[in-house]
Amino acid sequence: MLACARLAALQQFEYRFNLVADTLIQPTIVGLVEITLWLAFFSSTGQVELMGFGKEHYLAYAFWAAFVARISTSWMYETQMIEDVETGTINSVLVRPISFFEYYLGQLMGYKALTTVISMVVPIAICLSISLPVDLLRLPLALTLVFYYLILVHILSMIIASLGFFFTRIHHLTVAKNITLWMLTGEFFPLDLAPEPFRSALVALPFSSAVYRPVGYLTGRLDASAVLEGFLSVTIGILVLGPLAAWLWLKGRRRYSGTGA
Amino acid sequence: MVNIETTDLTRSYETYQKAEGLLKSIEGLWARKVDHKVALHPTNLRIESGQIIGLVGSNGAGKTTLLKLLSGLIHPSGGSAKVLGYSPTSRDPDFLRRISILLGQKNQLWWDLPPVDSYDLLGKIYELDRAKARERVQELAELLDCTRLLRTQLRRLSLGERMKMEIIGALLHQPEVLFLDEPTIGLDIVAQTTIREFLARYVQERKPTLILTSHYMDDISLLADRLLLISKGQIVYDGSVDEFTAKSEARQTLSFKFFNPTATELSILSEDGSTEVCKLPAESRSVQIEVPAASIASVLQAAMSAGPIHEIKIEEVEFEDVIHKFMQQDVGVRAASRTPTV
Repeated sequence: MLACARLAALQQFEYRFNLVADTLIQPTIVGLVEITLWLAFFSSTGQVELMGFGKEHYLAYAFWAAFVARISTSWMYETQMIEDVETGTINSVLVRPISFFEYYLGQLMGYKALTTVISMVVPIAICLSISLPVDLLRLPLALTLVFYYLILVHILSMIIASLGFFFTRIHHLTVAKNITLWMLTGEFFPLDLAPEPFRSALVALPFSSAVYRPVGYLTGRLDASAVLEGFLSVTIGILVLGPLAAWLWLKGRRRYSGTGA
Repeated sequence: MVNIETTDLTRSYETYQKAEGLLKSIEGLWARKVDHKVALHPTNLRIESGQIIGLVGSNGAGKTTLLKLLSGLIHPSGGSAKVLGYSPTSRDPDFLRRISILLGQKNQLWWDLPPVDSYDLLGKIYELDRAKARERVQELAELLDCTRLLRTQLRRLSLGERMKMEIIGALLHQPEVLFLDEPTIGLDIVAQTTIREFLARYVQERKPTLILTSHYMDDISLLADRLLLISKGQIVYDGSVDEFTAKSEARQTLSFKFFNPTATELSILSEDGSTEVCKLPAESRSVQIEVPAASIASVLQAAMSAGPIHEIKIEEVEFEDVIHKFMQQDVGVRAASRTPTV
């Protein structure tokens, strides 16, 4: 798996501009858009606090959320997995002594580790330079949760890629899934702002461990127990969705015709 | 020792059939007509260790399907296969470390990386000693005369150069069983010859069990010691290459145009005059005939006697036609359901 993680890094370094766009430019733009929205909210309503937290707190949340979400979502590898199944490129993995799951999980982790090292510089610098609330000592635990959550993300990608054996072209499912996750992860807004009963459900789902729990913990909105609950919730998610992914994969492999080769 | 054995190995596919037009496309949203196509009829094979098999057939005959089944890429619809004692679909890591498949129309190395990085990764996947793997890459690259290309991104290499790199990748872990699907397809004559000669030397030195598919008979005749002819998913010939060549008489297509239409019907006899090779009808201006290669001279001589000719073209008969002719002869044909004698 380490070899696959290294492969991801090697491939990304081949295309420098794309790497910079993905790790720095894109999350910075998203962060600035979200900050603008929060500034507009506070200035138009005249409120100084929302749910007990001030404007600076929401600006910090928005900026960190943009960068952490960049780590905890999978567009690129999921699309590649779907294309591998659709075009038959998967053959080059199937004939080697490595599983498709391990091959892409290694790459996902490697790429996200690279993304983390490069992109975290920006929110850290911003928060320190304009004194936005953040406890950087909490960063290791928060990122550990995000990387643990990536296993669940990869299982979801396996489910979608396996559906490719049945429906051939399913790219739009990735789009639909990621838009849904945009809401469910807390990238759009802190999940505890949602009204009940949605609030409890959204927080309890494992997807809250992608952004809401780690960023809430980093910015002081949540304590360590929320992060530990996140680990539990993700574990349950893995235990529920993992067997489904394995079943779909095995069923799909039986149908596979080795397209295009 | 038997390395590959199949028992009634079968594979069929489902294909979606759509009638022409927008309305039929809309109808296809809820009701689709599915056709079942048998790509490989029940096939029984026994291949001994170290044998070099040439697997030949026209497009869609089932060659690649058989290779995919034997390498575990696809599951059979029926029957079973054993390769090196393993069921290929089990994808046992020990099995996968002992085989290799090269699909000539697909890249298996990483498109974005220079081959040297791909080989390094393959070394880790196959758990090879790093120093030995590097030594082996160097050795293979020298044999294929492509050392200077090892550090160039794969996507920037020509088709022939890429194929050399793919071959190195396929042989890096020294597989005992090697499946090569069209390794020279689309390559120019020079690249074809280099690869052909390299493979000939490799199989002579390493003695792998090899199944090779190719559209080029030169690949097969140089490398294979046993020929399997497959047609419409059935093995229709199993024997030596020499036997096949002897039985499938070499033929060529001869086209010529007369300045003026021929006056009378013309019968062209073989050189010894014993048999009629072909007949030119009266009033012929353009003629295209398929004749035995040995009779080309006598046919041309006879044709020129019929009138002045202003254009002559001689072409090899398409390999598919040779196969077709061979099958019509009913010589050496073995029923697919029988296990051939090895």
